[in-house]
Amino acid sequence: MDRLRYIFEDALINIRRSGWGGLASIGTMAVSFVIVGIFLIITGNLGALVAEWKEQFQVTVFLEDGITGEQLALVRKRIQNERAVKGMTYTSKAEALQQFKRELQGKDSLLEGLGENPIPASLQLRVHEAYQTPEALKQLTASLGRVEGVEDVMYGQEWVDRLSAVIRLLRLLGLGVGLALGLASLLIVSNTIRLAVYARAEEIEVMRLVGASRLHVRAPFLLEGMIQGTLSAGLALLLLYGAYRATLWQLQVTPGQVFGMGVGSFLELRWAVLMVVSGAGVGAFGSLISVGRFLRA
Amino acid sequence: MIQFFHVYKTFARDVEALVDINLEIEKGEFVFLVGPSGAGKTTLLRLLFHDELPTSGQILVNGRNVGKLPRRALPGLRRSIGVIFQDFKLLRDRSIADNLAVVYRVHGIPPAAGRRKVANALKMVGLSHKAQMMPYRLSGGEQQRVAIARALMSDPLLLLADEPTGDLDSELALDVLRLLSEINTKGTTIIVATHDSNLVRDLGRRTILLKGGRIVEDHP
Repeated sequence: MDRLRYIFEDALINIRRSGWGGLASIGTMAVSFVIVGIFLIITGNLGALVAEWKEQFQVTVFLEDGITGEQLALVRKRIQNERAVKGMTYTSKAEALQQFKRELQGKDSLLEGLGENPIPASLQLRVHEAYQTPEALKQLTASLGRVEGVEDVMYGQEWVDRLSAVIRLLRLLGLGVGLALGLASLLIVSNTIRLAVYARAEEIEVMRLVGASRLHVRAPFLLEGMIQGTLSAGLALLLLYGAYRATLWQLQVTPGQVFGMGVGSFLELRWAVLMVVSGAGVGAFGSLISVGRFLRA
Repeated sequence: MIQFFHVYKTFARDVEALVDINLEIEKGEFVFLVGPSGAGKTTLLRLLFHDELPTSGQILVNGRNVGKLPRRALPGLRRSIGVIFQDFKLLRDRSIADNLAVVYRVHGIPPAAGRRKVANALKMVGLSHKAQMMPYRLSGGEQQRVAIARALMSDPLLLLADEPTGDLDSELALDVLRLLSEINTKGTTIIVATHDSNLVRDLGRRTILLKGGRIVEDHP
């Protein structure tokens, strides 16, 4: 118990002695974490956006103008048999026109010269997420397109796919950048600890000669690295959160309301925790490198 | 307490520091290790606390074979041996009391008990009033006594002193030897290495003369 306390005290003394060098090391690591954090926030939010869109994703089946009630029932039945379809809503010609007029917002005079309603009735299908792949959708549209009474089948999957690809790319890029910055952080910590080891070389010698165990000599440095890493990650989270709140304030929106969807949220808790844990891990590992190299025997 | 069996120590480029050392030192003895510089005195002491390993031969300290000690047993050995270094090895960035505190912290002794130990050790060497001073404010003789106090912190069974009178005038040197004798009366085995054979001549202690890494005389 007392030994633990002494080890902790020694670590704090090391940190205090590291002075500006230690602060610079914490600051530099924090910048790395901020950059990684920005990637995490962006990909997290884009992911949420895509999930939202996928949830709302619809395939629209436009019906022929002259469709009879019997035919419509058949079409419905045919669609219900499709495994990909979660549910559907029917929009009649009249409803579709109303909707269109609402969207035109008072410019409905444009429609005056049309005479008869040009907008087709339609069925909006909600599709199970598992079937929201280009192949499955192509199959679905092809098979529904052949049904009697169906004029056309449309969906806007392509750009959802493209966005998903962009997210994958961003994640990959984030991972690469994260790894590179993690490595840089490792070198920074290991250098700070190396200086700490040098600064305490005499003390370490005396400690060994009076019977300090290897663990007792090394533990304070390990702890110092871990504290530095944890502080860096914590500082980075604070900076990120500050920037996040400032941005929301600047845009005059509240979280979760950007684009009117569940987007605009901060880092998920598990990512924040992971950042702090990996900060401690990078610190410990960086410290081990130096302590291992400079405290042989 | 201490036994050397055919101990050789050869450094790089075939420098023979110790040649065929055979030696036995009983518990509670006070032994002088005498010889000119480079005779191997310091090397012999360093072998005892595993700061150097013998090239060949066996060394037993308290029945333990020092050369074959596993690494995890090393702290235990060193905690049973107090060493007074030629260059004192005092930490310049902290007070006398804090220099001594290093020992109890390493041993994991609670702070209150540790501080009592520091006070006792400083009292023993007569430096209680300088506990809060920095080492550089102390004279050479005082620094030497701080080094002795630190060696006493672990209540050692064996106390090794490397040239503890090296830079001191003869009166101060005798003071230090008197102090070591006092410690010896409490049962601690003491080995003092010195190049000053005049100093030890009239003390009537066992004196081992080293030359060129060999024991040439052993006066009981």
